[in-house]
Amino acid sequence: MNPVALSLTLLQQTCVYLVVAYLLAGTRIFIPLMHVTIRLPQRTACYVVCSLFCIMGTYLGLHIDDSIAHTRTIGSVLGGVLGGPVVGLAVGLTGGLHRYSLGGSSALPCAIATVVGGLIGGGYHRYMIGRGKAATVFRPVPVALVTLVAIVVEMAILLLMLKAPANWHLVEQIAIPMGVANTLGAGMFMRILVDRRKLFERQSTVFSTKALAIAARVEGLLREGFDPDASARAARLVKVIQEESGVGAVAMTDTRQLVAFTGIGADHHLPGTVIESALTLQAIERNEVVYADGNEVPYRCSIPPKCSLASCLIIPLTDEENQVIGTIKLYEPRSRLFSNINRTLGEGIGRLLSNQILAGRYLRQREMLQQSEIKLLQAQINPHFLFNALNTLISVIRRDPERACTLVFSLSTFFRSNLKRPSEDARLIEELAHVSSYLEIEQARFGDRLQVEFDVPDRLQHVRLPAFSLQPVVENAIKHGTSQLLGIGRVRISARQDGNDLLLCVEDNAGLYKPPAEGNDGLGVNLVRRRIANRYGAGYGMDIECEPEVMTRVTLRLPFSPSEL
Amino acid sequence: MNVLIVDDETPAREEIARLLSRVADVNIVGQCANAVEALSAINHLHPDVVFLDINMPQISGLELLGMLDPEEMPRVVFLTAYSEYALKAFEQDAYDYLLKPVDPARLDVTLQRLRRDSAPVADLAKLATPLRQIPCPGHQRVQLVKVEQVEYANSTGTGVFLVTTDGVEHFTELTLRTLEERTPMLRCHRQYLVNPEQIREIVFQELGGAEIVTHGDRRVPVSRRLLGELKEKLGFA
Repeated sequence: MNPVALSLTLLQQTCVYLVVAYLLAGTRIFIPLMHVTIRLPQRTACYVVCSLFCIMGTYLGLHIDDSIAHTRTIGSVLGGVLGGPVVGLAVGLTGGLHRYSLGGSSALPCAIATVVGGLIGGGYHRYMIGRGKAATVFRPVPVALVTLVAIVVEMAILLLMLKAPANWHLVEQIAIPMGVANTLGAGMFMRILVDRRKLFERQSTVFSTKALAIAARVEGLLREGFDPDASARAARLVKVIQEESGVGAVAMTDTRQLVAFTGIGADHHLPGTVIESALTLQAIERNEVVYADGNEVPYRCSIPPKCSLASCLIIPLTDEENQVIGTIKLYEPRSRLFSNINRTLGEGIGRLLSNQILAGRYLRQREMLQQSEIKLLQAQINPHFLFNALNTLISVIRRDPERACTLVFSLSTFFRSNLKRPSEDARLIEELAHVSSYLEIEQARFGDRLQVEFDVPDRLQHVRLPAFSLQPVVENAIKHGTSQLLGIGRVRISARQDGNDLLLCVEDNAGLYKPPAEGNDGLGVNLVRRRIANRYGAGYGMDIECEPEVMTRVTLRLPFSPSEL
Repeated sequence: MNVLIVDDETPAREEIARLLSRVADVNIVGQCANAVEALSAINHLHPDVVFLDINMPQISGLELLGMLDPEEMPRVVFLTAYSEYALKAFEQDAYDYLLKPVDPARLDVTLQRLRRDSAPVADLAKLATPLRQIPCPGHQRVQLVKVEQVEYANSTGTGVFLVTTDGVEHFTELTLRTLEERTPMLRCHRQYLVNPEQIREIVFQELGGAEIVTHGDRRVPVSRRLLGELKEKLGFA
């Protein structure tokens, strides 16, 4: 057999080999080979796969005299390249032993050469990783060259070990065909791997990009919860999903009827129609994704027979108890079937929407709870404060009618501020007025025992902040702080700008702050804290420093938002 | 009757004083702005009646009750603007209390009762909340000594002294009897109370007495008469 003919034959064998590789590359077996493997389970998988290729390479080889021109080297070299020296050695030993078991004059040198091939691949792997080039290990051309080196070494081993010159002729015959076939084979094998990986990554990128785009746009829409009556919201929602996913039509249902529809067939898929489609009912009933691909599972629009929608993906939406509260349906017309979307993406969208429904509900509930807590807090103006204020007033009326009038004004300002809706914003100057009216009364009560100092730059007076944020903090400083002192209590209220933030500081000289225990201690202050944190997110809120019996300093950090006024 | 007014808010004191000053048989002997002043005033002025605000700095009106010598307890009329606790305790009507702002008509009812001498005295201590700290007047300021930091209390000719873990002696107006009743301290000698938490060892002596050594290495005498009782209380007979 001349070398050219042999090369071609061997290449044909290599093709069979590569077809097998290609088919396998689509399965899970190949996942460990997609990346430079480090962990034991992946290395084991790598060893098994490459050993199989080794053995296959031996069987697909051509018997010449009593030796074999083979493509086994691909397996051992790849084992080393993908899995490192240890895997390479193991694959080499396995393939080598297998070859040895088949016998023939070149059995032993071939076996040894296979082991050496694995080690050469492993050496290349080790060298590339060592230089921090893990990503380039997969490049086909270098791997092909490494395989070529392995073949050259193999031939050298054969020449050395088959001492009889008669056998050299054999080497002469198989050297070039084997070099060509193995080098090309190894290169192409890597090519297949790299292509597979690219495809896989592109698919996941496409899916995650789509899902993220939907998520971002749906975010605000679902914030207010999935409420079928809010048909406008549902209509916007299905529109977003259709635009982002590129399917023919999107529908949204609750558990009874169609809520919104957009895309092909919108003329007869009218919101309000009661669900009749068996598939949708099945999705609702079993809480599972139903996929009618128009092929295995035929889909027929249940409304008019002429509808061109031919495939459908139905995703149930669930609430916090995992109860189905509706579905999202994605359709494609007969001409397209599902090319833009698959089941996985559909399930992803369903999960995402369900989560957002939850988030929306949760947020809304949390907000409502807070609003009512604050309302409650304001409604029940601390009775202690109220009666003490009235008691003080009675005393002042006798002593100083003018001052008593001022106090009544302060009291009415205080009540008025308390009746403000806590959802509203206030300017700092208004908050300070609220605080001042409160302090006016406390000063009358405590007289010289309470000294208050304000330090608020004029330019900050019009900054906006949530109403009812400052007074509870000041009240706390007096109620749990200075009023508990035998000596003189001092409260200092200051505001300053810190970059893009506004800092409000309330400091007292009592230093009696105790972290709130169970119960309603510091209820007002905790509400203020939670409100700021929820409204502005991380980095904003309340910070409390306390030096026992010396001072307590409460600092509110809010975003700096100058008033438009 | 001699009346003492105790309230930390000046306008409140002024108002109750004004109301009382109109009553012929009432003589206001003093006004105090906190419990520490009140303790001293009660001990020195021996008023018949104390109008006592419950909500006061550091030591509440109810805590003050526990600092008074049970033998010398004056009659007390509580003042409160609003206190769920107080109202609950007083609802049985065993104790007299006035809600601020004080209604003159209601005050008259109280004064009538006081004249009839029906206001309870002895069981006032039941209302008292546990003593957490003991006021010790010094120069310029009052120190509040936490009960758990007291090693022992000693009554001398000049008064009662507390010795704290740092070895400092504090004068207090509270009597040994009050301290014995209102704190975990145990009587070990006619003139000594010891904080059981602070006992390191008890050294028995030949004559049947003993000596307590505190964690701070100070020595407290134990009289023969009280040794058995003390051992029993400490859990070794």
